[in-house]
Amino acid sequence: MSGDSLPLILPLSRFATDSREATTLYRELRKPLLRYLVCLGLSSDEAQDVVQDAFLSLHKHLVSGGPQDNIRCWLFRVAHNRARNRQHSYDRRFGTQLDLDTESISHAATPEQVVLEKEKFRRLGKAIRLLTPSERECLLLRASGLRYREIGEVLGISTSTVADTVDRAIKKLAEKCNV
Amino acid sequence: MCDYSGKLVAWIDRELPEREAADVEQHILACAECRRRVDAYKRVSASFVAYCDAAVGQKTPSRLRHWVPVLSGVAAAAVLSLVFLRVPVKQIPVRPQEAVASPASVMETVPRPVKPVHRQRSLPRMKTPNASWTPAGPAIQIVIPAEAMFPPGAVPEGVNFIADLDIGADGSAQGLRLQP
Repeated sequence: MSGDSLPLILPLSRFATDSREATTLYRELRKPLLRYLVCLGLSSDEAQDVVQDAFLSLHKHLVSGGPQDNIRCWLFRVAHNRARNRQHSYDRRFGTQLDLDTESISHAATPEQVVLEKEKFRRLGKAIRLLTPSERECLLLRASGLRYREIGEVLGISTSTVADTVDRAIKKLAEKCNV
Repeated sequence: MCDYSGKLVAWIDRELPEREAADVEQHILACAECRRRVDAYKRVSASFVAYCDAAVGQKTPSRLRHWVPVLSGVAAAAVLSLVFLRVPVKQIPVRPQEAVASPASVMETVPRPVKPVHRQRSLPRMKTPNASWTPAGPAIQIVIPAEAMFPPGAVPEGVNFIADLDIGADGSAQGLRLQP
């Protein structure tokens, strides 16, 4: 993706000890954020906009002397709220129209494996559609590597609620996909 | 159903307190049903991540594929495009005293009064992280004071950035990159 060039190094460099640190911050967080937003149902363009917006907000947040602990969680929360504001896109929801082509299953070596993988993804997509919005969000944030406490902060719910929701969602998927 | 079934996912995610985790681990070693469940939950978790990756791969970015987003957004792009259209020189250094805070003012001042210093030497290409991104035409570098493009206080005083703008054969901007 061409976005690996790093325009956001500019404002963040004020707060990072050196430009390499700012570069790392942007590199590490941009793709997980994009993935989360696209999986929520935003188009690629919308997701790019929201991520751009989130990093701009981060800049303002830091300039105004906001806390700098757990920037990752902060960015996910901002991006999540921005995505929610795009209600139309947000309601499209992850898993609704994913018709995977063969290229998406590149690690499958034989035609039989491709068929099996496609069938597995089809069942998984069907199961994902049966999840509640909260269950999907929790699983997506978990897939982005966030801890339960961080997921709770992003979604504005308690850590124990996150634990229950993730547990329920994984069990639903496992049951429906029969894995 | 086993009493431990409600803790298996949290155990996989390393979200249980240490003692509780050790307890669950002991149980899993002894309970074949829970071992089977743990395997299933791990598999479905991995499949979910793969599904996310496939979903993102399916929706390849279109608008920004060849366009690097710039923090200053429209203002910076407008400034650079205008400069390119009106002053077809290789490099245009702008004297710091002509720099003003408003990008709109820059649009008025940059192309007109500056005596461009033509530097015939070709500037070295900046290394592009994405190897597939190649300029469609000759590269141009324009030096603009940072304070002319960003609000006061947004960047340390006196710091300039290099904007690398690549123009396609049809005259449209193909890529824009800022570098300190």
